[in-house]
Parts: sequence; C-alpha cells; structure tokens
Amino acid sequence: MKSQDSEILPERLSPQWLTENMPKFEKQVKASNLNLDCSQLQHLDSLALGCISSLHKTAQSHGHQLKLQGLKRDLQPELAKVVSEKENKTIVNPSLFEVAGEGLVKLWSELRSVLFLLSESIYWSTWGLRKRKTILKGETVKQMILLGSNALPIVALLSFLVGLTLAIQSGLQLSRFGASIYLASGIGISMVTEIGPLMTAIILAGRSGASITAEISTMVVQEELGALHTMAINPLHFLVLPRFWAMSITLPLLTICAAVAGIVAGWAVGVLMFDLSTTIFFKTLIEAVTVDLIYKSIFKSLIFAWIISLIAISKGLQVRGGADAVGRATTSCVVSCIFIIILADAGFSFLFYT
Amino acid sequence: MNPLVEVKNLKAGYGNKVILKDVSMLVQPKEIRVVLGGSGCGKSTLLKNIIGLEIPQEGEINILGQRVRWGEEQLASEFMQKIGVLFQNSALLTSLTVGENVGLPIRIHHPQLPQSVIEEIVLSKLGRVGLAHAFDLMPNELSGGMRKRAGLARAIATDPQLLFCDEPSAGLDPVSSQALDELLMELRDSLSISIVIVTHELDSIRTLCDRLTFLSGGYVVFDGTLQEAEAQGPQEVRNFLSRKAEEDQSKASNVQFNLED
Repeated sequence: MKSQDSEILPERLSPQWLTENMPKFEKQVKASNLNLDCSQLQHLDSLALGCISSLHKTAQSHGHQLKLQGLKRDLQPELAKVVSEKENKTIVNPSLFEVAGEGLVKLWSELRSVLFLLSESIYWSTWGLRKRKTILKGETVKQMILLGSNALPIVALLSFLVGLTLAIQSGLQLSRFGASIYLASGIGISMVTEIGPLMTAIILAGRSGASITAEISTMVVQEELGALHTMAINPLHFLVLPRFWAMSITLPLLTICAAVAGIVAGWAVGVLMFDLSTTIFFKTLIEAVTVDLIYKSIFKSLIFAWIISLIAISKGLQVRGGADAVGRATTSCVVSCIFIIILADAGFSFLFYT
Repeated sequence: MNPLVEVKNLKAGYGNKVILKDVSMLVQPKEIRVVLGGSGCGKSTLLKNIIGLEIPQEGEINILGQRVRWGEEQLASEFMQKIGVLFQNSALLTSLTVGENVGLPIRIHHPQLPQSVIEEIVLSKLGRVGLAHAFDLMPNELSGGMRKRAGLARAIATDPQLLFCDEPSAGLDPVSSQALDELLMELRDSLSISIVIVTHELDSIRTLCDRLTFLSGGYVVFDGTLQEAEAQGPQEVRNFLSRKAEEDQSKASNVQFNLED
C-alpha cells in the first residue's frame, strides 16, 4: 500500500476498502501531512469525493495538509468544486453568550407575540365587540364543541379517577385518627381549588392546545393565511377570536365538571369504604367549599384558558418551514402551556392562600 | 385610460435583504400583464408587495387610482375586496368544502345575504370554471388542476376588477395548463378584468401575454409586448425567451421519444 510516504488509492474506492483504510488515514492526517497517490484513481464517485473531502477537512482542522498526487486532470474540477463548497459551508460554533442571547431574543419575540394576541383578543372581546369583524357566524360554537365539549368525557373520567385515588389515600390516613369525616372537606377543597382547574387545563393543553397549533401552523405552511388576507379576512378575527372565546367559556365549565366528578368519587369512597352518611358528607363539603373558593377556581381556569389558547395560536402563527416545523410547534405548544400553567398555578396559590 | 395598477419606484425585500431595488410597472384595464424573470429575481416579491402580503420598503403602489397603504386595515380591506388572488398552490382552506371555500369571502363580507343566495352565487362561480359538481367535495379530493380552478373560482367570487395569479400553470400537465390559460382568457373577456400573472411557462406567456415586465437584478429591464421583447428586447431578455423555447422543445422531444418507445 505504501510507496514513498504516499498512500495509494485504488482505481475505484469500494465501501469495503474505505472501511478498512479510512481510520488509518484519519489517524495519519491528524498526526502529520498526508500524501495520497491518486494516479490509479479512475472514478471520482461519491465515495471517493466523500473520502477526500472528509480527510481534507480533518487535515485543515489539525493544521496539516492533504496532498493529492497524480490526480487525473479531468477529475480535478469536480473535486475542487466539492472541496470549495464544503469550505464555504464551514459552520462556526456560536459562543455561550451568543446562544444565550439568541434564546433571550426568541423568548422576547414569543412573549411579545402572546402579549399582542392577548391585547387584541381582550380589545375585540370588550370595546371592539360591536365593531364589524371578519368572522364566520357560528364559528365560536363550533370551536366550543370541538375544543371543549368533546373533551368532557376524558376530563370527567380522569378527574373521577384522581378523586377516587385521592379519597382512598387520604381516607385511610384520616380513619387512623378517627377523622374520616374530614374526607369530604379535603376532597372538596382540593378538587375545587387545585386538582379540578389544573387537571382540566393540562388535559386541554395536550388535547385542544395541540390541535389549535397543528391546525393554524398547517394553514400557515400551506399559505392559507395569505389567502385569508387577500380575501380581506383578518386572520385575528377569523382564527384567533373564535378559539379564544371558545376556550374562555368551555374551560371554566369543564373545570366545574371536573371538580364535581372528583367530589362524586370522594363521596362514593366515603360512603362505601369509610361508612360516612351522604347527608354528613355533603353538609361538611358545603361548609368547607365556600363561594369565594369557587370564584377563585373559575378565575384561575379562565386565566389557564387564555394561556392555552394564546400560546397555541402564537406557536401556530410563528411556524416557518414544512411538516417538521408543524410537529415541533405542536410539541413546543404543549410543553410551554403545561409549564406556564403550573407556574401560574403556583403564583395563584401564593396570591390567594398566603 | 387610467392604469388599474401603478407601481412606482418600488424597493422591497425581506429584512435587510433588498430584492427589488427600483421597480415601476403599469397595468392597464382589460390587460393581461405577465411578470417574467429568472429564479430569485423578485417576481413573487413584487406580487406579494402589490397584494399586501409584504410591506414595501420604499415606493408607491396605486390600485384603481388610489394609493394603497396596507398598514391601514380599513383601507386595505376595501382594496382587497376589489382584487382576487390565485395562489401557486391554490391555498384552499383544507377544513372547508370547495363550495364553502368559494363562498367564504361572500359570507364574510355580506353576512346579511341568505344562504340560498350565497349558494347560487357559488354554484355560478364554480360553473364558470367547470367545477359545479365539486361543490361538496373537500380540497384534498381534487386533482391539481381542479384545485387551481377552485382557487380561481374563489378569486373571482367577489367580482374583482383585478386578478393576480402566482404561477398558475405550475405543476399542471400541458393539457390542464392550456385549459387554465384559456379559462383565464375567457374570464378576462367576459368579466372585463385585468390579470397580472407571474409565470415561467413560455406556452402560457404566448397564449396569454398582452404585455410583459422582465425583472433582473432588482430592476425592470424590459417592459413591452412579447413580440417587441423577441425582436428588439435586451439580449438578456431574448436569451431568456429563446432558452426557454429550447427547453420546451427538448421537453417536447423527450415526450415524443417516450411515446415512440
């Protein structure tokens, strides 16, 4: 193989030859200059181009030279083109500060987009309610059914199961101290103030938020928003308002349903497992769950509805690219919604109960 | 005659990148104006700036004798109702049926109209483009040519005075492409509208073009009829047109070869 410190390339590079020799060449070029005798090389196919280009790059990064000897004149232009294109495409890794800065700019851009949508949605839902809007009649009801009503079975079922588990666990502990009666107040308060709003919001973020982002981002990718614009239809009216209104109405209603389902599960556990009477259970429950708590819960769920709808719409509108961008936006929407909802919930707990 | 579209010293691009440096163009009533040029010369950018999908960096755009300010929503909305746009990929709303797509601008801008009247208007527009049978079909149930025609029906739904078409023949077979060209001619004649077309298809240009605007390097390098372009246009324009002709001939011979095979 070796002749006068030159590695001889065969007539045509086969995958097997490359597998056997490439590691050796790479090792050599990292350590010193490498001479390749190309006089026998007849075909500069993809494998040969890839091999030479890769060795050239490794040599450059280690401050060494890759010398090609005896390369046929008619093969030279093609090789020069590949190597120069590769050099032009050299990517400089950004520094930590650049990455952090880019992240901050992106975050600010997303925040600005959500705040813009929030201000516009609130304006068109209040002062601008009577102004002419390019919106389809019945669209809000359609969205309420799609985003909200269709989620009722899954929300009710999951809340019932969580209520059931919570009641069994807390009932077992309370019964050890002869305080099973407090099961009613415990389940009631936790379902109304925390689990009801949070569970419903998280389910809707995964179900309806993802659906909104996927739908809008697909429309963006397929130029449907441009088409709306050229028909003098404001996408904010046509797409944002029906979804914003639908979520604002259905999420608080679903939250109430979730709380009721959880309480029903708690009642069933209390009566069947801990011998509580129905009358005492509901008497204790009504004493514990005040109207004030219900208002706070509904307020929380309204804010969660805004978070889900505005983040989902914003993520959808910001999509650039193709089908993969739609997938990324949908994932990002669900993750962002859940994160912000839990953050907001912590904030509400601090605000309301400390 | 006052021009329907007047573009004056337009400078446009994306962010800091300037694509169109100084472009001026007129579109006269009942005229079919073809915008031509090499890839990346800014044909689509020009179209997007005229129809308000992008905001010009400098310059002036007048449509129907009035200066367009796309930032002013009310004014922009009034202009938009007087123009129709056929997108390259038709851009039909995939969640609506073909009939709902065509009826959408009518339902939005004339919500007081009874549904039966809107349906009749939609059927007449679909009938014009030969798609009356597709009223209840979803866009994904249509072929490429049918989608283009449905997009065209939607573009003329509000009886516009101006129609903009972005690569109308792109992705169509020669027969569908010819049929679409003839449909555009027929619409121009029967509706007395002006049409601005961005296209590469030389066959379409020969069928449709009253006047052409050739863009290169961010400037208009030729403005005139196709005959003038071929006879006395700049070398770049003549080269472009002749190269396209050669390409089309080679395509034709390939097809012939395959058929003989």
